[in-house]
Amino acid sequence: MTAPTALIADDEPLLRESLQRALAAAWPELRVLAQARNGREAVELFEQHEPDIVFLDVHMPGMNGVEAARQIARRAQIVFVTAYEQYAVQAFEQGALDYLVKPVDELRLADTVQRLQERLRARAAGTPQPQLDLQAAIETLARKLMQPDAAGSNATASAAGHLQWIRASVGSTLKLIPVDQIVFMRSDEKYTLVVWQEGEALIRTPIRELVEQLDPQRFVQVHRSVVVNLHAVSHVTRGPNETADLHLRDRPEILPVSRSYLHLFRQM
Amino acid sequence: MSNPSPIAVPGQANTPSPWQGFVAYLTPLRLALALGLASLAAVMLGPIFIIPFPWALLAFAAAGQWPRRLPRWWARWLFQVLVVALAVPVATLLVYLVAVGGDFASLIRSEGRVMGFLWIAGSGLLVGPLLAMGALYRQRDAEARNQALSFELERSELERRALDARLRLLQAQVEPHFLFNTLANVRALVEAGSPQAAPVLRSLIAYLRAAMPRLQDETACLADELGLVKAYLELMHLRMPDRLVYEIAVPAELLRLRFPPMALLTLVENAVRHGIDPSEEGGRIELGGRLDQGQVRLWVSDTGVGLVQQMGSGTGLRNLRERLQVVYGESAALDLQENQPHGLRAEIRFTP
Repeated sequence: MTAPTALIADDEPLLRESLQRALAAAWPELRVLAQARNGREAVELFEQHEPDIVFLDVHMPGMNGVEAARQIARRAQIVFVTAYEQYAVQAFEQGALDYLVKPVDELRLADTVQRLQERLRARAAGTPQPQLDLQAAIETLARKLMQPDAAGSNATASAAGHLQWIRASVGSTLKLIPVDQIVFMRSDEKYTLVVWQEGEALIRTPIRELVEQLDPQRFVQVHRSVVVNLHAVSHVTRGPNETADLHLRDRPEILPVSRSYLHLFRQM
Repeated sequence: MSNPSPIAVPGQANTPSPWQGFVAYLTPLRLALALGLASLAAVMLGPIFIIPFPWALLAFAAAGQWPRRLPRWWARWLFQVLVVALAVPVATLLVYLVAVGGDFASLIRSEGRVMGFLWIAGSGLLVGPLLAMGALYRQRDAEARNQALSFELERSELERRALDARLRLLQAQVEPHFLFNTLANVRALVEAGSPQAAPVLRSLIAYLRAAMPRLQDETACLADELGLVKAYLELMHLRMPDRLVYEIAVPAELLRLRFPPMALLTLVENAVRHGIDPSEEGGRIELGGRLDQGQVRLWVSDTGVGLVQQMGSGTGLRNLRERLQVVYGESAALDLQENQPHGLRAEIRFTP
């Protein structure tokens, strides 16, 4: 039997070295073929070296450890390494995946090494291995990891899907305005005027599109061209012909409320 | 007071429409009082004395609402008193005219009626303004009470916000992920016998001490905060030496400034967590400061991934903004900008 081989992937160089040293002590025959700095490199180096075992840090920039494991799948024994991921550890325990917790404990590592050695021996001998549903376990892990920030890739939306930031050019700089600071927005022909506590800016997104992305509990349309943050309203005064004027806390502007939106401000 | 409270102050722009104000002023109690006084006067002096009081009330209420704006030199209270004083004789005259069928000449001819009119007008001129002044006094009293209440409300709101900010600071915790990863690094250094181990442990201790829950430290200054930020950045640089470069350049004149603990650290942690860490190439963090016409500007700028990554709901930044406003007042500001070609810049501004 040829010497078993391994790949280590971690974005922190000291931890790669540390794991390699610990493995050298616990399993002298194991040859570490390469070290990867992120998930993408791990997959590339795996394809290149085809090691028996891959140690994957869960948290890595770009592609994380779980995504890398998906791509490597059954072609190697995968051991996840993590500093502290409450959810991840639960998933490991349910899914019978191998994992190590940083800083790596020697006894724990010895256990893992023993298990890996048994599996490699069984595979070499051609005995049928207990079928672990590796793929399902990885999917569970991926789900658990994604839970804290479920919204995924949409940069400016919260978990509930509402817009949290508005990007607006002020002079030559691109500002990020937290939506809860916005007082009101008014459509201004081609543009939308965004007014917040400390300033105002024009953006190109039409007010109709913005309204759909904002939290309806907080932002309401009070006029064909005006959307207001309810938290910024001071009071409303009735005008003639079923209209009203809306006064703001921190801004001098007085906004029109048209008849079809007046029901929002009826007395309780 | 920056935000006008919705109290009905006659003559100010934020009152409801004049008609509503007028009708609202005529409460059943006030009507009953006017009619009661009128009846009393009628019983004691003569039936004709029933006239002035209801008219005085109507005139007083109306003058409180119309016209909506008075010239600056024309005080509303004086206007109301004058209108009441005029209303009594005019109203009496009108009632007399109606009584005699509009014949002014016959009114003049009857000496008894002229004497009656003079009596009523005279007593109206005397009593009307007195009643009006009394009413005004009561009204001002009520307004003062309303104002006091709304001030009280505002103050308790501010106190609540300060308390909230303090409580959130108490809850500030060291993230276990950060702690265990850093400890793993420290262990790696110790095992390798690296001379770096001792300074890194020193940074970790400084960071942990600062991050422990505590009450507001009144004596904390910017130099303390920069020490904490430096400890944190040193630790992160140790962990990702190939991905994180940083520079701290704050002029010495700012170092003794009073500064709330963890405020800059929040921004630097954000820059690492959301800017540098998600990027394969990493980036650079610059912390700078400047005194600009009495206003202090402190910024944290990174060349990380910018806003393409999930940034959460911005709760951390909102808390920070609130804390700054509690410490430095409403003028304190925090804003974010995007850097070119990528990255974020967060800037704090306040007047010390």
